[in-house]
Amino acid sequence: MPGGNVWVLVLALALPSTGQQHLEEAERIMSTTPVIDGHNDLPWQLLRKFNNQLRLPAANLTLLNDTHTNIPKLRRGHVGGQFWSVYVPCETQNKDSVRRTLEQMDVVQRMCDLYPETFACVTDSSGIREAFRSGKVASLIGVEGGHSIDSSLGVLRTLYRLGARYMTLTHSCNTPWADNWLVDTDDEKPVHHGLSPFGKTVVEEMNRLGMMVDLAHVSVDTMKVVLNISKAPVIFSHSSAYSICPHRRNVPDDVLQLVASTGSLVMVNFYNAYVTCSDKAKLSDVADHMDHVKKVAGAQAKFDGLLVCPVSLERWHCHPPIHCHFWKTINVGVRNQTSLFSP
Amino acid sequence: MEKKRNVAKLLWLLMFFSDIVPFSCEKSMRERALELMQDARLIDGHNDFVLQLRILYQNKISGVNLRELNKTHTNLAKLQAGYVGAQFWSVYVLCSAQNKDAVRLTLEQIDVVKRMCNSYEELELVVTSQGISDSRGIACLIGIEGGHSIDSSLATLRMYYDLGVRYMTLTHTCNTPWSESSSKGIHNFYPSVIGLTAFGQEVIKEMNRLGMLIDLSHTSYSTVKAALNISKAPVIFSHSAAFSVCNHSRNVPDDILQQLKKNKGIIMVAFNADVLACGRKVVNISTLADHFDHIKEIAGSESIGIGADYDGVEHFPEGLEDVSKYPSLIEELLRRGWNEAELKGILRENFLRVFREVENVRNTFGVMDAGESEILQEEKHSCRLDLGKPQAQPSRSFALSSVAQPLSLTLVSCLMLYYEIYGV
Repeated sequence: MPGGNVWVLVLALALPSTGQQHLEEAERIMSTTPVIDGHNDLPWQLLRKFNNQLRLPAANLTLLNDTHTNIPKLRRGHVGGQFWSVYVPCETQNKDSVRRTLEQMDVVQRMCDLYPETFACVTDSSGIREAFRSGKVASLIGVEGGHSIDSSLGVLRTLYRLGARYMTLTHSCNTPWADNWLVDTDDEKPVHHGLSPFGKTVVEEMNRLGMMVDLAHVSVDTMKVVLNISKAPVIFSHSSAYSICPHRRNVPDDVLQLVASTGSLVMVNFYNAYVTCSDKAKLSDVADHMDHVKKVAGAQAKFDGLLVCPVSLERWHCHPPIHCHFWKTINVGVRNQTSLFSP
Repeated sequence: MEKKRNVAKLLWLLMFFSDIVPFSCEKSMRERALELMQDARLIDGHNDFVLQLRILYQNKISGVNLRELNKTHTNLAKLQAGYVGAQFWSVYVLCSAQNKDAVRLTLEQIDVVKRMCNSYEELELVVTSQGISDSRGIACLIGIEGGHSIDSSLATLRMYYDLGVRYMTLTHTCNTPWSESSSKGIHNFYPSVIGLTAFGQEVIKEMNRLGMLIDLSHTSYSTVKAALNISKAPVIFSHSAAFSVCNHSRNVPDDILQQLKKNKGIIMVAFNADVLACGRKVVNISTLADHFDHIKEIAGSESIGIGADYDGVEHFPEGLEDVSKYPSLIEELLRRGWNEAELKGILRENFLRVFREVENVRNTFGVMDAGESEILQEEKHSCRLDLGKPQAQPSRSFALSSVAQPLSLTLVSCLMLYYEIYGV
C-alpha cells in the first residue's frame, strides 16, 4: 500500500534523526565538559613496543595505529584529562620495581615534552582546569601497585614529588602490607585481611601528602579497611559493579554504599571480563554498570561529587555514544549529565 | 755603662714589641678570615651527614635535634659557626647496593635531605646558582655519590634531576657497568670496565643536557680523561686533593689539574687526612694548605674550591675536626699570602662560576633531545625483571583478551548501539 510505505518512510527518516540528536547532544556536552579518564596504560604499551624510545618514527603518537590510544582518538573521544598509569609488573616486586616505575614516570613527562600542543603534564585540579581552557589533555600520573614503592615511605613521598597523584594499593599481587583481589578467589589466601599496620601508615601518609588512594585491584577487606580509615575520599580508578558482573575486580554493593558515604569515586572499567564476566561486551553493558553504581551509591548523595567516568581500554571515539545511551535510558537532565564527566 | 743600659732597654723594648706585634698580626688574621667569610660564606662540595642520619637514626629524624647533635662532625650550629652558606649534602648509598636496591635507597636519602631542609628555618633547599646567591640561610643542595644510584638508567638520572639533584659523582669505590672507579680491590663489580663505556658517554651527554654537574672525585684517571674530553660544560671534583702532594688514588695529578684549568672546572679540596698526608703522622692545617698552594701553582686559584668530606671519613687534620673550623683554613691561607679575591674565589665565587656555566650549557639544548639510549645488557641479574625485546603485541600477565578482540568489539558494540538507538 502506498500510504503504508509512506509511513514507513517517514518513520525511517524520523528515527535516525532522534538518535542523531542524542549523539549531537552528547558531542555538544562533551565539547564543553570533556571527560577525565582514570586509567590508561599507554605508557606500558610504549615500553613494550618501543622501549620508551618516543623519538622512533613508529612511536609517533599522532600516527600510532595499533594501540587503543593515540592523539586523534583522544581528541575525538573528548578526553580532557587522563591519568596515565605508570604500571610495572608484579614480577618486579622485590627486584627493580622502583627504577622501572621512575622510567615510566619519565616517559609520561617526555610525552608532555614532545607533544606540548596536546598534553599538559599537571599535578592538581587547577592544572586540570587550566589544561581544559587551553584545549589540551591534562596529563597526570597514577602509580599502579604498591610494589612500586618497595615498602618505603621515602619512595612514596618522592613519587609524589615527581607528580604521582594516585597509587593503586596493589596490582594483582599482595604487597608486604596489603592484600589484592586474588585473595577473594580460590587462587590465593588472604595474608593481611586488608592492610597490615604498615599498610595503614601508607594510607595515612597518602592522605597527608594529598595523593589519592586507589582501590582498583585490591581485595574486599582492603577496600573496607581503607574506606574506614582514610580521611579523604578514595577512588577506584578502573573497576565496575560486582552485582552486574561478579568478578572480584569489581566493587560489591556494600562497598558501593561506603563509596557513597565517603564521597568517593568509582571510575567504571570497560574491560569485557569485568563488564559482562565473559569475553564479549557491548556499550550498553558498560552503561548498565554506570546505572547500577549510581543507583546503589544514591543519586542524591552529592551526585556531582560522585563521578562515574568510563575508563576505556579501547574505543575512545565511542565516548559520545556511551553518554548518548546513558542519557536515553535514564532521561537525566543536561546539568546532571555535565557533572558526570568532570568534577 | 749608659750605652749598655740603653742597649739593654732597647733590647727589652724590641722583645716586648716582638711579643705584641705577632700577636696583633695573628688576631687580625683571624679577624680578617672571619670578616671575609661573613662576606663570602663557604659553599662546601661534599658532606656525608645524611649517611650518618641513616646509620644512627634509620632516617627517623623528627625526634632528633639536628642543631646540637654531638655524635657527628656536622650539626646546624657548627655549620653556622663555620660560616657555611651552602652545603652539598651527599645522598650516598653503599656500593654493595649496586644491582640491588640502590635506587630505592637513593630516593630515601634524597627524601631525608628534603625533610631536613623543610624542618629547620635556617636551611633552604635550592637548585640553582641564583638560589645559592639569594639564600640568606644555609642553602641545601643534593649530590649523588656513585653512578650505581642510577642503575644504568638515563630516565632515573632525569628523575633525580627533577628531585633536585645537581651533581653526580660518576663512581664511588666501585665500577659501574659504564664507568671506572679509582678504587681497586674494594669491590668486584665490572672489573673489565675502563674509563667510560659508550653508555657512560651517553650519561655525560645527558648530564650536560640536564644541567647536572659532573663530579669526577672517586673516578679513575681514564674516566677523568674521557669525561674531560666529552663534557661540554666545566666539571668538578667535589672532594679530592693534589696527587703531587700526596700520591693517593683519590687525588688529582698535575696534568689533569692543567686540563681542569682549560675546562674552567673546579677541584673542591677534601680535608680527609688520609688523602692529604699519605700516612704521615702529623696532619694539620698546614698539610691541607700545602694542597691549596700546589693546586694554585698548577691550575690557578680560580680552579679551587672546598669539599671537606665531613662525616664521610674518620680522620681530619688537627685543628679541622668539624664543620665549625673552616675559618682556620682561611686564616692559614691569609698567612701564606693568599689575597681576598683568591679566597673569595675558593670560598664561593669559583663554584658559582662553574655552576652558572653548567646551567648555560643546559640552556643550549632542547627538550626534544632527552637521551633514550639504554645500556647493552651483558648479563641477567636475579634482581632485574627481564622483559625481553620490544613486542608488537604487548601482553600483561593478568589480561585474558588479546588486542584484536577489543578492537573488533568496538565495531560490534557501535553496531549494536546503532541498532538499539534506531530500533528495528
